Amino acid sequence: MHRHRALVLPGLVVAAAVVTLAAYGSTTKRDSTVTITFMEAMSSGKQKPALDLLTSRFERANPGITVNLIAEPNYGVLQQKEQASIAAGAPPTIAQAYENWAAGYADAQAIIPLDGYVHGKSGITAAEQSAFWKGVWKDLYLPDGKIWMWPFNKSDYVVYYNADMLQKAGLAMPKTWVQYATVAKQLTKNGNWAESMDTGTLSAPANGTYVYLSIVRAFGGTWVANGKPTLDTTAGIKALGYLADLKKAGALQIGTNYPGQTALGAGRSAFDLSTVAGYPYVLGAVGGKFSMKVAPMPSGRNGQGNSLQGTNIVIFSKSSTAERAAAWEYMKFLSEPRQTAYWAEATGYLPVTRAALPIMKGYIATHPYQQIAAQSLQTAGGSPPYAWWTTAVGQVAQAMQAVLDNGGDPAHALATAQQKALAAANGG
Amino acid sequence: MSLVGAATRPPRRRPGRLGIRNGRFALAYLSPALLIFLVFTIGPAFFVLYISVFDWNLLNTSMSHFVGAGNYRKLAGSSDFWKSIEESAYFVGATVAGSTIFGLGIALLLSSRGLVRRIVRLAVLTPYFTPLVATSIVWVWIFNPQFGLLDSLLRLLHISTVGWLQSTTWAMPALIVYTLWHDLGFTVIIFLAGLATVSPELREAARVDGARYWHEVRDVVLPQLTQTTLFVIVITTIGSLQAFTQIYTMTQGGPLSATTTTGYLLYEESFVFYHTGFGAAIAVVLFLVIALFTLLQLRLTRRPA
Repeated sequence: MHRHRALVLPGLVVAAAVVTLAAYGSTTKRDSTVTITFMEAMSSGKQKPALDLLTSRFERANPGITVNLIAEPNYGVLQQKEQASIAAGAPPTIAQAYENWAAGYADAQAIIPLDGYVHGKSGITAAEQSAFWKGVWKDLYLPDGKIWMWPFNKSDYVVYYNADMLQKAGLAMPKTWVQYATVAKQLTKNGNWAESMDTGTLSAPANGTYVYLSIVRAFGGTWVANGKPTLDTTAGIKALGYLADLKKAGALQIGTNYPGQTALGAGRSAFDLSTVAGYPYVLGAVGGKFSMKVAPMPSGRNGQGNSLQGTNIVIFSKSSTAERAAAWEYMKFLSEPRQTAYWAEATGYLPVTRAALPIMKGYIATHPYQQIAAQSLQTAGGSPPYAWWTTAVGQVAQAMQAVLDNGGDPAHALATAQQKALAAANGG
Repeated sequence: MSLVGAATRPPRRRPGRLGIRNGRFALAYLSPALLIFLVFTIGPAFFVLYISVFDWNLLNTSMSHFVGAGNYRKLAGSSDFWKSIEESAYFVGATVAGSTIFGLGIALLLSSRGLVRRIVRLAVLTPYFTPLVATSIVWVWIFNPQFGLLDSLLRLLHISTVGWLQSTTWAMPALIVYTLWHDLGFTVIIFLAGLATVSPELREAARVDGARYWHEVRDVVLPQLTQTTLFVIVITTIGSLQAFTQIYTMTQGGPLSATTTTGYLLYEESFVFYHTGFGAAIAVVLFLVIALFTLLQLRLTRRPA
């Protein structure tokens, strides 16, 4: 017992020394390097190794900065983790965020505006700014006119189609929505149909919701005006009526779990309207059974009206000045032509700047759809940057379900959606 | 009366030193579990009650403000809430009735011995041990309107097909069918345990007296299964009120909120739209309903058979 006691004191002294040295070591490290954390959902397929590689390249080029990636399995979990970390007062330094998430974070003073960095000493030049796709650049702002986000993984919608099916029917890929309806109906025979779509639900809007919103814009409608939702415009009603007509003709089928991909892959439908980032998955579903090609979204009187997809990056306000500066360097690095080109080639997302296209020349020669989709970024519309948009887009999905699944009237369904979205916008 | 009571009641004994020491030891041994329970269950439950009287800003709590009973008043006037109550009643009513009737029926069929019955018993019980998310996804594909097994069978029989999970009429029955498929094994096991306690002498006596099988079940077996049946009803009611995973995976509350039960509405308001205070008020109401059923269950299980 006494022997044990005799060992306790030296043991405590050694332990204290170890703790002191460890603390000294970490302080020294902290003085010379800045560690930032990036909460992201690029954890599947080719996305994870691509982001890992870009991050290690950045760290090599910036020896004073360490980037810790916090990978989440999907956007739903990402949002919940971000919200929980903000609520707990321990957010990461930066994170991926959709426009409406960013709006909520800004309202709660959880993120910082980036104008000071974008136009600051370590900012970007006017030439670099003008090289960003117009749609991508516009998407960085919140309604207060400040830049709150920086672009990262962007995509938009394209049409994947069964070229063999169209050729067999002697039809060309339609360029307008009017042509699309005609072709879709002509292809609906012998147990085949034109397109399958997931309308989404109130709590989980899906691809179909954004395809419909794209058609609304193409028909000359808006989603938001003067900070308020505009879901029941004439163009909106016309667009929903257009889809209802396709459904009635059997050309449009409704399903869940990426039904467009499944039906196209099974050789039962001619088209799948989906994001360009889904290319590897659609290709996998087709599995070489037929010639699958990619075309731009059809146009309406207001052009293509594409919906911008993917997220931006935000900096959280809890971070220190040094962390913010390091985070900005990292975000800027990811958006630079060389990195965004690599990211696009590795993952199927789109380069956020036109300046990346010359670097991607060889890749585009074999993947022409990348240029088609990238050019659509010029006009693609991002999700309105309002926290209430989550409710509004859910209401759009509800209206689609009412009309396409349950035979409701488009005008009535959209009026209901508008009423509820407006209540949410007014803080109800 | 009091004398009789005093004579029959055992004398009250004051705890001795050993008893007090044992009690302290018991408390010491239980304290880690109690602490975990307190921190992760009781504490958050009271915090939910606290949040429910605020317009709670999850992202910046300093921007939250006290609204008193405001969230509860809003709840009382919310058509979404009352619709969710209706959907919950539909879901709970159907799953409880289905579980009880089919569970009892299957248990009666499987109560006798035999290899085939043992295999069937295992088959009925197996779904209960399968993960809800994985099997829900399998059923989403069974219900798929274009490529699903169910609609393919209907097409073979030249019967018109239905978008099971897309239709406001059929989505809830589809969810109920899945839930019964998954949970029936549990109620069958409970009923089988109950049947094992039924007096074989009484059944035999009934048979000797010329009772047919149905009369034997109705007049001898069912009265002896009253406690078991009440237990099954209460426990499946509580389980159905808490159902979430299959709704989240199969329908996400849709179409047109046709499968938005109160439990799912709570998730939607709290974690999709981040109306945290309002969501907390729903949680409190749901807690009270479930607590009521739990008390009922406790009372029933304490009652002598």
